[in-house]
Amino acid sequence: MDVLHGLLHGFAIAIQPANLLWCFVGVLLGTIVGVLPGLGPPATIAMLLPLTFLMQPAGAMIMLAGIYYGAKYGGSTTSILLNVPGESASVVTCLDGYQMARKGRAGAALGIAAIASFVAGTVGVVGLMLVAPPLARFALAFSSPEYFGLMALGLAMVVLLAGRSLVKALLSMLVGLWLAGIGTDLFTSVPRFTFGQLELLSGLDFVVVAIGVFALGEVLANMEAAEEDRVLPVPKGLRNLLPTGQDLRDCRFAFVNGSLVGFVVGVLPGAGSTIASFISYGIEKAFSRRREQFGTGVIEGVAAPEGANNAETGGALVPLLTLGIPGSSTTAILLAALVLWGFKPGPLFLSDNPSLFWSLVASMYLGNVMLLVLNLPLVPLFAQVLRAPAFVLYPVIIGISMVGVYSTGTSLFDVGLLAGFGLLGYLMRKLDYPSAPLILGLVLGGAMERALRQSLMMSGGHLSILVTRPIAATMLCLALLLLAVPLFARLNAWRMQAMEEEK
Amino acid sequence: MRRRSPDFWSGLVLAALGGYIVFRAQGWDYLTPEGPGPGFFPLWYGIAILALSLYLVASPALARVDWTGSGRAFATWAAIAACVAALKWLGFVVAFAALTFFLVAVMYRKAMTTAAAVAIGIAAAFYVLFPLALGVALP
Amino acid sequence: MKTTGIWVAALCALACAEASAFTPTRPVEVVVHTGPGGGSDLLARSVAAMMEKEKLLPVRMRVVNKTGGGGAVAAAYLAERKGDQNTIGFFTGVWLTNPLVSDKAKVTLRDLQPIARLVLEPALIAVKADSPYKTLKDFIAAAKQKPGELKQSGGSITSRDNVVRQLLQQETGARWAFISFPGGGERIAALLGGHVDLMVIEPEEAGQHIRAGNMRVLAQVTEKRLAGFPDVPTLKEAGFDVPVVPQVRGVVAPPGIPADEVAYWEEVFRKLTRSASWKKFLADNQFEDGYQNAADLTKFYDQFTSQMRGILKEAGIKVVR
Repeated sequence: MDVLHGLLHGFAIAIQPANLLWCFVGVLLGTIVGVLPGLGPPATIAMLLPLTFLMQPAGAMIMLAGIYYGAKYGGSTTSILLNVPGESASVVTCLDGYQMARKGRAGAALGIAAIASFVAGTVGVVGLMLVAPPLARFALAFSSPEYFGLMALGLAMVVLLAGRSLVKALLSMLVGLWLAGIGTDLFTSVPRFTFGQLELLSGLDFVVVAIGVFALGEVLANMEAAEEDRVLPVPKGLRNLLPTGQDLRDCRFAFVNGSLVGFVVGVLPGAGSTIASFISYGIEKAFSRRREQFGTGVIEGVAAPEGANNAETGGALVPLLTLGIPGSSTTAILLAALVLWGFKPGPLFLSDNPSLFWSLVASMYLGNVMLLVLNLPLVPLFAQVLRAPAFVLYPVIIGISMVGVYSTGTSLFDVGLLAGFGLLGYLMRKLDYPSAPLILGLVLGGAMERALRQSLMMSGGHLSILVTRPIAATMLCLALLLLAVPLFARLNAWRMQAMEEEK
Repeated sequence: MRRRSPDFWSGLVLAALGGYIVFRAQGWDYLTPEGPGPGFFPLWYGIAILALSLYLVASPALARVDWTGSGRAFATWAAIAACVAALKWLGFVVAFAALTFFLVAVMYRKAMTTAAAVAIGIAAAFYVLFPLALGVALP
Repeated sequence: MKTTGIWVAALCALACAEASAFTPTRPVEVVVHTGPGGGSDLLARSVAAMMEKEKLLPVRMRVVNKTGGGGAVAAAYLAERKGDQNTIGFFTGVWLTNPLVSDKAKVTLRDLQPIARLVLEPALIAVKADSPYKTLKDFIAAAKQKPGELKQSGGSITSRDNVVRQLLQQETGARWAFISFPGGGERIAALLGGHVDLMVIEPEEAGQHIRAGNMRVLAQVTEKRLAGFPDVPTLKEAGFDVPVVPQVRGVVAPPGIPADEVAYWEEVFRKLTRSASWKKFLADNQFEDGYQNAADLTKFYDQFTSQMRGILKEAGIKVVR
């Protein structure tokens, strides 16, 4: 079945009223559940999976696609409005998105998130259709040394997130690496830094740390002011409720960047949306004309990671549908769902089940569109959340954080950790340690260590494996270049200073 | 005596952490016959933490930290911690309502009735929304 | 006459009371050690769906995720719920091996109430389709020639993948490296990308790749040949006399529950494993029906753990229990 024919067939199925309804329900449910931090798309889908047993596979899949997009968007919403990351990938959105909200541009931020997601998601699905097989082969060439290069590149991004003090940013990142190492070592089953606690044997849950540091830290910081303030300026006027034409123009590069980076990173099994969003944010910042303003509420800083986040899904479907290998945790659940329904994703999925494959692709387009249609009008509504007075909003934030954390593992210990990290977040804010590098280190640390050890195991202990393989070598070079940039800047500054003094 | 900057103290704390990490990493295998062992990575980043934090300690202080209002923040944190500790015995709804009451009444100096109303209202909303409507367990 | 009547009535009452002694009245909590979407979680949800379909339970099953500690947190949670009549748990092999190597994992299957063993997951030994090794003997011979150079991808050191490797290494004297990858997808990618030479893989996952011509199966880790792979020799048939270490999944309950409850659950799961949906489930996932009742499960547990202890010690892994 050739591509266009298949796609039209898929759309024909997807557009049936019953399926449209399922999609709508899915997006709605997904958004509501996704707002809860900790319940990201994978958990949401797992929870709502039983509902789908009673439906036709095509309808069920469409609903799942809707849930997925809804959950992602719900996560972005809380990131922007409340500085509470809904899932790991939304952390980057918090950086500029929340700052935009503080300036009264929450509506624009929410809107651009939806639009960027739509654009990138579409690109992702197009990519899936057109370049899946060759890309899958490319993905196979990627193994531990290349992953190490990718992670190193991601960590080198810390340079771009540094703010005033590079030393503090590096320290923050290193502490993040340490936090990532807490738990049982994968290779030798040796517990590390678990302080004798049973619950720490599987390591720290990212959600606990992120919500504690970002959300609770923010709440505590805001508690300092005794007067009852509006929490955030409520956006007034249409200019602030939706992205303006100027905004859209500013984000042109971000749309492309997010889509491509997200898609390519998604194709790599094991590399997730978090890395995709960090890297696209970093690239956006590196190439932007107003890079110093990143972190204070720049709209491209929201568009790029949100786009990457979404395109990553399309990318993650490539290994799933061509090789049967899930590219991320969400696609793993999708895989499980397909298996439960009796289908077997794998190299033969496309040829065995063409109509299901194309309905899946069509349902993803549809989910994207539905998301835009549903959420764009709701943006002003969401933004009104900010009207709530501080003394209502903050307890709600605290409550949502606690419930969200608890829902991921039903453990009071996690909630206790949450409180601890809240304090850490507050102190970091006070002492001017940037928190984004901490998260970066936490997310990438585990993967990076694994990749390094796997690479050395593969090469029998020779570090050279990292540079003899072209892809890995390229990424390491880029990473080193990135790290060298501040050094050049410093040297340049000294040179200038020296020249001045000579005069 | 010259007042030490906050960077000095945070640098010291981090140096202590770095030292602890290095110490523990020594106890694990650095290299096993199969490849790098559990001690490999921690050793390196422990050393890095130690080095950078000592640099921080030694370098000239940056801006002063404004500690006004931090008393309130710490008090809030103490309340949150107390709430978490109480979760096991009181359950979420009660403990959270108490926390909210405290926050509204004490932190924001609202009237007792407002505080009570808000506390009960929000706690009830949580109860309705999560376990009843969505089937998500409350702590 | 009247007295006899009363006796009969009393006996009847007793008998009826015995028969209806235990039925769950509230939704049953099913504890699993993975997060939503993980292996145990999905099994539990499938079982819940099947229970509803076959109408084996008067109430619903609700999955509760207690992640952490390689199963230790879930096991500890069940142990705490001594006497709780509304909770059961799904265990996997990890619950059995973890206490052997981790001194924090204090709760073993013996501290809980075993109910039933449900499935055995067999495995296949596979290589890439264009690999030079056509039989397992080829691979072992090559490994003997270049010790430590060939590589296998798999899970953690205590996982079944490594256990199979240890057993083969001991039996043949060959040595090859083991590289841990946390995700099944990554392991397959490593094999297909040519970064490792061998892997132990579940039949379900392998099936697809074999049909597509990506992989070749050298042997099966089973007692007898699986229906889906009639042409592949078992380890014994291929000439390697090593014990077949299964990957198990089953049901446990908290300790201290009354005997009639144990009997009830045993019965429910026995019926489940005889039902049509279960048979389809097994066939779809290529699991082996490993049903054992509570008593046999206990015996299996003892035998399995002592076998594991030996294997782990040989592999140089510290055994604490």
